[in-house]
Amino acid sequence: MASDHDHDHDNSLSETVLRVKALESLLVEKGLVDPAALDAMVDAYENKIGPRNGARVVARAWTDPAYKARLMADATAAIAELGYSGAQGEHMVVVENTPTVHNLVVCTLCSCYPWPVLGLPPVWYKSSAYRSRAVIDPRGVLRDFGITVPDEVAVRVRDSTAEIRYLVLPERPAGTESLGAEALEVLVTRDTMIGTAKVSAP
Amino acid sequence: MATPPLTADKVMPAILNGGPTQRESAAKPRFAAGQAVRARCFNPTGHTRLPRYVRGRLGTIERDHGAHVFPDSNAKLQGEKPQLLYTVRFAARELWGEAANPADAVYLDLWEDYLDAA
Repeated sequence: MASDHDHDHDNSLSETVLRVKALESLLVEKGLVDPAALDAMVDAYENKIGPRNGARVVARAWTDPAYKARLMADATAAIAELGYSGAQGEHMVVVENTPTVHNLVVCTLCSCYPWPVLGLPPVWYKSSAYRSRAVIDPRGVLRDFGITVPDEVAVRVRDSTAEIRYLVLPERPAGTESLGAEALEVLVTRDTMIGTAKVSAP
Repeated sequence: MATPPLTADKVMPAILNGGPTQRESAAKPRFAAGQAVRARCFNPTGHTRLPRYVRGRLGTIERDHGAHVFPDSNAKLQGEKPQLLYTVRFAARELWGEAANPADAVYLDLWEDYLDAA
Protein backbone atom coordinates (compact mmCIF):
# COMPACT_ATOMS: atom_id res chain seq x y z
CA MET A 1 0.00 0.00 0.00
CA ALA A 2 1.20 3.52 -0.74
CA SER A 3 3.10 4.98 2.17
CA ASP A 4 2.11 8.60 1.40
CA HIS A 5 -1.44 7.73 2.30
CA ASP A 6 -2.13 8.10 6.00
CA HIS A 7 -5.72 7.01 6.33
CA ASP A 8 -7.34 3.61 6.39
CA HIS A 9 -9.59 2.35 3.60
CA ASP A 10 -10.81 -0.62 5.66
CA ASN A 11 -9.04 -2.85 3.19
CA SER A 12 -7.73 -5.58 5.44
CA LEU A 13 -6.46 -7.85 2.64
CA SER A 14 -2.72 -8.20 2.30
CA GLU A 15 -1.07 -7.92 -1.10
CA THR A 16 -0.52 -11.68 -1.16
CA VAL A 17 -4.19 -12.42 -0.47
CA LEU A 18 -5.23 -9.90 -3.15
CA ARG A 19 -2.87 -11.46 -5.68
CA VAL A 20 -4.16 -14.98 -4.91
CA LYS A 21 -7.77 -13.79 -5.24
CA ALA A 22 -7.00 -12.10 -8.57
CA LEU A 23 -5.30 -15.25 -9.89
CA GLU A 24 -8.16 -17.43 -8.67
CA SER A 25 -10.83 -15.25 -10.39
CA LEU A 26 -8.87 -15.31 -13.64
CA LEU A 27 -8.39 -19.09 -13.58
CA VAL A 28 -12.07 -19.64 -12.77
CA GLU A 29 -13.24 -17.16 -15.44
CA LYS A 30 -11.10 -18.87 -18.06
CA GLY A 31 -12.51 -22.24 -17.04
CA LEU A 32 -9.12 -23.65 -16.00
CA VAL A 33 -10.12 -24.19 -12.36
CA ASP A 34 -13.41 -25.52 -11.01
CA PRO A 35 -14.26 -23.63 -7.77
CA ALA A 36 -16.07 -26.73 -6.46
CA ALA A 37 -12.82 -28.71 -6.91
CA LEU A 38 -10.96 -26.07 -4.88
CA ASP A 39 -13.60 -26.34 -2.13
CA ALA A 40 -13.27 -30.14 -2.15
CA MET A 41 -9.50 -29.82 -1.80
CA VAL A 42 -9.71 -27.35 1.08
CA ASP A 43 -12.30 -29.59 2.77
CA ALA A 44 -10.05 -32.64 2.38
CA TYR A 45 -7.08 -31.01 4.09
CA GLU A 46 -9.13 -29.12 6.71
CA ASN A 47 -11.44 -31.93 7.76
CA LYS A 48 -10.32 -35.33 6.48
CA ILE A 49 -6.52 -35.46 6.27
CA GLY A 50 -4.36 -34.33 9.17
CA PRO A 51 -2.10 -35.35 12.07
CA ARG A 52 -4.84 -37.44 13.75
CA ASN A 53 -4.18 -39.98 10.97
CA GLY A 54 -0.52 -40.20 11.94
CA ALA A 55 -1.44 -40.42 15.63
CA ARG A 56 -3.59 -43.46 14.85
CA VAL A 57 -0.63 -45.11 13.09
CA VAL A 58 1.65 -44.40 16.07
CA ALA A 59 -0.83 -45.67 18.69
CA ARG A 60 -1.39 -48.85 16.69
CA ALA A 61 2.38 -49.43 16.40
CA TRP A 62 2.75 -48.96 20.17
CA THR A 63 0.04 -51.50 20.98
CA ASP A 64 0.36 -54.08 18.20
CA PRO A 65 3.88 -55.54 17.75
CA ALA A 66 2.94 -57.33 14.50
CA TYR A 67 1.65 -54.03 13.04
CA LYS A 68 4.82 -52.25 14.15
CA ALA A 69 6.93 -54.89 12.38
CA ARG A 70 4.96 -54.37 9.17
CA LEU A 71 5.22 -50.57 9.57
CA MET A 72 9.00 -50.65 9.92
CA ALA A 73 9.37 -53.08 6.99
CA ASP A 74 6.98 -51.36 4.53
CA ALA A 75 5.49 -48.16 5.93
CA THR A 76 3.51 -47.29 2.78
CA ALA A 77 1.58 -50.60 2.91
CA ALA A 78 1.11 -50.60 6.71
CA ILE A 79 -0.20 -47.00 6.67
CA ALA A 80 -2.55 -47.90 3.79
CA GLU A 81 -3.99 -50.70 5.98
CA LEU A 82 -5.49 -47.91 8.12
CA GLY A 83 -6.87 -46.18 5.02
CA TYR A 84 -4.23 -43.46 4.57
CA SER A 85 -2.48 -43.15 1.23
CA GLY A 86 -1.90 -40.90 -1.74
CA ALA A 87 -0.38 -37.53 -2.58
CA GLN A 88 2.91 -36.88 -0.75
CA GLY A 89 2.74 -40.27 0.96
CA GLU A 90 3.34 -42.55 -2.03
CA HIS A 91 6.67 -43.75 -0.61
CA MET A 92 6.66 -43.71 3.18
CA VAL A 93 9.45 -44.59 5.62
CA VAL A 94 8.97 -44.64 9.40
CA VAL A 95 11.96 -43.86 11.61
CA GLU A 96 11.83 -44.80 15.28
CA ASN A 97 12.92 -42.65 18.19
CA THR A 98 14.47 -44.68 21.00
CA PRO A 99 16.42 -43.97 24.22
CA THR A 100 19.60 -43.81 22.04
CA VAL A 101 18.36 -42.26 18.75
CA HIS A 102 16.40 -39.07 18.05
CA ASN A 103 15.16 -38.48 14.49
CA LEU A 104 14.22 -35.05 13.17
CA VAL A 105 12.59 -34.50 9.76
CA VAL A 106 13.24 -31.51 7.49
CA CYS A 107 13.13 -30.63 3.82
CA THR A 108 16.01 -28.26 3.15
CA LEU A 109 15.05 -27.86 -0.52
CA CYS A 110 11.39 -26.84 -0.05
CA SER A 111 8.65 -28.19 2.23
CA CYS A 112 8.25 -31.94 1.53
CA TYR A 113 6.02 -33.46 4.22
CA PRO A 114 3.94 -36.67 4.58
CA TRP A 115 0.46 -35.28 3.83
CA PRO A 116 -1.69 -38.44 4.25
CA VAL A 117 -0.55 -38.88 7.86
CA LEU A 118 0.22 -35.31 8.95
CA GLY A 119 -1.84 -33.04 6.68
CA LEU A 120 -0.26 -29.85 5.36
CA PRO A 121 3.00 -28.62 6.93
CA PRO A 122 3.01 -25.89 9.60
CA VAL A 123 4.43 -22.49 8.60
CA TRP A 124 7.61 -22.92 10.67
CA TYR A 125 8.42 -26.18 8.83
CA LYS A 126 8.52 -24.21 5.56
CA SER A 127 10.56 -21.30 6.98
CA SER A 128 14.13 -20.88 5.80
CA ALA A 129 15.20 -20.55 9.46
CA TYR A 130 14.07 -24.10 10.30
CA ARG A 131 15.17 -25.58 6.97
CA SER A 132 18.70 -24.22 7.11
CA ARG A 133 19.36 -24.69 10.83
CA ALA A 134 17.85 -28.17 11.27
CA VAL A 135 20.76 -29.78 9.42
CA ILE A 136 23.69 -27.77 10.83
CA ASP A 137 22.41 -27.29 14.40
CA PRO A 138 19.65 -29.82 15.10
CA ARG A 139 20.36 -29.85 18.84
CA GLY A 140 19.94 -26.06 18.96
CA VAL A 141 16.67 -26.29 17.02
CA LEU A 142 15.44 -29.00 19.40
CA ARG A 143 16.37 -26.82 22.40
CA ASP A 144 14.24 -24.02 20.89
CA PHE A 145 11.38 -26.52 20.78
CA GLY A 146 12.02 -27.38 24.45
CA ILE A 147 13.91 -30.66 24.05
CA THR A 148 17.44 -31.18 25.34
CA VAL A 149 18.95 -34.26 23.73
CA PRO A 150 21.76 -35.77 25.86
CA ASP A 151 25.19 -35.89 24.13
CA GLU A 152 25.19 -39.68 24.05
CA VAL A 153 21.89 -39.82 22.13
CA ALA A 154 22.47 -39.78 18.36
CA VAL A 155 20.54 -37.11 16.44
CA ARG A 156 19.59 -38.27 12.95
CA VAL A 157 18.33 -35.52 10.69
CA ARG A 158 16.24 -36.79 7.75
CA ASP A 159 16.46 -34.35 4.84
CA SER A 160 13.58 -35.25 2.46
CA THR A 161 15.44 -34.58 -0.79
CA ALA A 162 13.53 -37.12 -2.94
CA GLU A 163 9.97 -38.54 -2.95
CA ILE A 164 10.44 -40.63 0.20
CA ARG A 165 8.38 -39.11 3.03
CA TYR A 166 9.32 -39.64 6.67
CA LEU A 167 7.14 -40.16 9.74
CA VAL A 168 8.80 -40.29 13.16
CA LEU A 169 7.55 -43.04 15.48
CA PRO A 170 8.01 -41.26 18.82
CA GLU A 171 8.88 -43.01 22.08
CA ARG A 172 5.93 -44.25 24.07
CA PRO A 173 6.07 -42.40 27.40
CA ALA A 174 6.63 -44.31 30.63
CA GLY A 175 3.54 -44.75 32.76
CA THR A 176 1.22 -45.43 29.80
CA GLU A 177 1.46 -49.23 29.94
CA SER A 178 -2.19 -49.63 30.94
CA LEU A 179 -3.54 -47.38 28.17
CA GLY A 180 -5.10 -48.75 24.99
CA ALA A 181 -4.64 -47.44 21.45
CA GLU A 182 -7.55 -44.97 21.67
CA ALA A 183 -6.27 -43.36 24.87
CA LEU A 184 -2.70 -43.25 23.52
CA GLU A 185 -3.73 -41.66 20.23
CA VAL A 186 -4.75 -38.38 21.85
CA LEU A 187 -1.28 -38.01 23.41
CA VAL A 188 0.45 -38.04 20.01
CA THR A 189 0.81 -34.51 18.64
CA ARG A 190 1.89 -33.43 15.15
CA ASP A 191 5.31 -32.23 16.31
CA THR A 192 6.14 -35.58 17.97
CA MET A 193 5.85 -37.16 14.51
CA ILE A 194 8.20 -34.55 12.94
CA GLY A 195 10.65 -35.06 15.80
CA THR A 196 10.42 -31.58 17.34
CA ALA A 197 8.55 -32.76 20.43
CA LYS A 198 8.32 -35.76 22.74
CA VAL A 199 5.09 -37.46 23.75
CA SER A 200 4.10 -36.70 27.34
CA ALA A 201 2.18 -39.06 29.61
CA PRO A 202 -1.29 -37.75 30.56
CA MET B 1 -13.94 -21.91 -22.42
CA ALA B 2 -11.52 -24.59 -21.31
CA THR B 3 -12.61 -27.69 -19.40
CA PRO B 4 -11.14 -27.68 -15.88
CA PRO B 5 -8.65 -30.55 -15.62
CA LEU B 6 -9.89 -31.38 -12.12
CA THR B 7 -13.57 -31.44 -11.16
CA ALA B 8 -14.87 -31.75 -7.58
CA ASP B 9 -15.78 -35.43 -7.91
CA LYS B 10 -12.22 -36.28 -8.94
CA VAL B 11 -10.47 -34.49 -6.04
CA MET B 12 -10.52 -37.26 -3.40
CA PRO B 13 -9.62 -40.03 -5.90
CA ALA B 14 -6.72 -37.87 -7.14
CA ILE B 15 -5.51 -37.23 -3.57
CA LEU B 16 -5.83 -40.92 -2.63
CA ASN B 17 -3.99 -42.12 -5.74
CA GLY B 18 -1.19 -39.57 -5.60
CA GLY B 19 1.65 -39.79 -8.10
CA PRO B 20 4.15 -42.55 -7.28
CA THR B 21 7.65 -41.92 -8.64
CA GLN B 22 9.03 -45.46 -8.31
CA ARG B 23 9.55 -47.25 -11.64
CA GLU B 24 10.32 -50.80 -12.67
CA SER B 25 13.99 -51.13 -13.53
CA ALA B 26 16.25 -54.01 -14.42
CA ALA B 27 19.32 -51.93 -13.61
CA LYS B 28 21.63 -53.48 -11.03
CA PRO B 29 22.35 -51.12 -8.10
CA ARG B 30 25.87 -49.68 -8.33
CA PHE B 31 26.12 -49.35 -4.56
CA ALA B 32 25.31 -51.60 -1.60
CA ALA B 33 24.42 -50.84 2.02
CA GLY B 34 27.49 -49.94 4.03
CA GLN B 35 29.49 -48.81 0.99
CA ALA B 36 31.40 -45.52 1.15
CA VAL B 37 30.38 -42.93 -1.46
CA ARG B 38 31.24 -39.35 -2.25
CA ALA B 39 28.57 -36.91 -3.39
CA ARG B 40 29.59 -35.36 -6.67
CA CYS B 41 30.39 -31.69 -6.87
CA PHE B 42 28.53 -30.03 -9.70
CA ASN B 43 26.71 -26.76 -10.06
CA PRO B 44 23.97 -27.01 -12.68
CA THR B 45 22.02 -23.96 -13.79
CA GLY B 46 18.82 -26.06 -13.80
CA HIS B 47 17.00 -28.22 -11.26
CA THR B 48 18.77 -30.68 -8.97
CA ARG B 49 17.93 -32.31 -5.64
CA LEU B 50 21.55 -32.58 -4.54
CA PRO B 51 21.92 -29.91 -1.84
CA ARG B 52 25.12 -27.85 -1.86
CA TYR B 53 25.95 -28.77 1.73
CA VAL B 54 26.76 -32.39 0.79
CA ARG B 55 28.50 -31.80 -2.57
CA GLY B 56 31.99 -33.31 -2.43
CA ARG B 57 31.34 -34.91 0.99
CA LEU B 58 31.88 -38.51 2.05
CA GLY B 59 28.92 -40.60 3.08
CA THR B 60 27.76 -44.19 3.56
CA ILE B 61 24.93 -45.98 1.75
CA GLU B 62 22.21 -46.89 4.25
CA ARG B 63 19.70 -48.55 1.89
CA ASP B 64 18.21 -48.33 -1.59
CA HIS B 65 14.62 -47.53 -2.52
CA GLY B 66 14.48 -48.99 -6.02
CA ALA B 67 14.45 -46.84 -9.17
CA HIS B 68 12.73 -43.45 -9.04
CA VAL B 69 12.04 -40.72 -11.61
CA PHE B 70 15.18 -38.55 -11.91
CA PRO B 71 14.11 -34.95 -11.19
CA ASP B 72 17.14 -33.34 -12.82
CA SER B 73 15.93 -34.49 -16.25
CA ASN B 74 12.19 -34.72 -15.53
CA ALA B 75 11.97 -31.10 -14.35
CA LYS B 76 13.40 -29.98 -17.71
CA LEU B 77 10.89 -32.17 -19.62
CA GLN B 78 13.80 -34.32 -20.78
CA GLY B 79 12.22 -37.57 -19.62
CA GLU B 80 11.85 -39.54 -16.40
CA LYS B 81 15.18 -41.40 -16.75
CA PRO B 82 14.46 -43.50 -13.60
CA GLN B 83 17.52 -44.59 -11.63
CA LEU B 84 18.37 -46.10 -8.26
CA LEU B 85 17.64 -43.93 -5.23
CA TYR B 86 19.61 -44.40 -2.00
CA THR B 87 19.45 -43.11 1.54
CA VAL B 88 22.97 -41.86 2.29
CA ARG B 89 24.30 -41.12 5.77
CA PHE B 90 26.67 -38.20 6.24
CA ALA B 91 28.34 -37.83 9.63
CA ALA B 92 27.69 -34.39 11.12
CA ARG B 93 31.49 -33.99 11.56
CA GLU B 94 32.07 -34.62 7.84
CA LEU B 95 29.61 -31.85 7.00
CA TRP B 96 30.11 -29.30 9.77
CA GLY B 97 33.52 -29.95 11.31
CA GLU B 98 34.92 -31.16 14.61
CA ALA B 99 32.55 -29.19 16.85
CA ALA B 100 29.66 -31.42 15.76
CA ASN B 101 28.57 -34.30 18.00
CA PRO B 102 30.37 -37.49 16.77
CA ALA B 103 27.12 -39.47 17.11
CA ASP B 104 25.06 -37.15 14.88
CA ALA B 105 24.37 -37.56 11.18
CA VAL B 106 22.26 -36.19 8.34
CA TYR B 107 20.51 -38.65 6.01
CA LEU B 108 19.60 -37.66 2.44
CA ASP B 109 17.87 -39.50 -0.38
CA LEU B 110 20.18 -39.28 -3.40
CA TRP B 111 20.04 -40.66 -6.93
CA GLU B 112 22.84 -42.76 -8.38
CA ASP B 113 24.04 -39.96 -10.70
CA TYR B 114 24.80 -37.85 -7.62
CA LEU B 115 27.26 -40.39 -6.22
CA ASP B 116 30.73 -41.82 -6.87
CA ALA B 117 32.28 -44.83 -5.13
CA ALA B 118 34.78 -43.62 -2.53
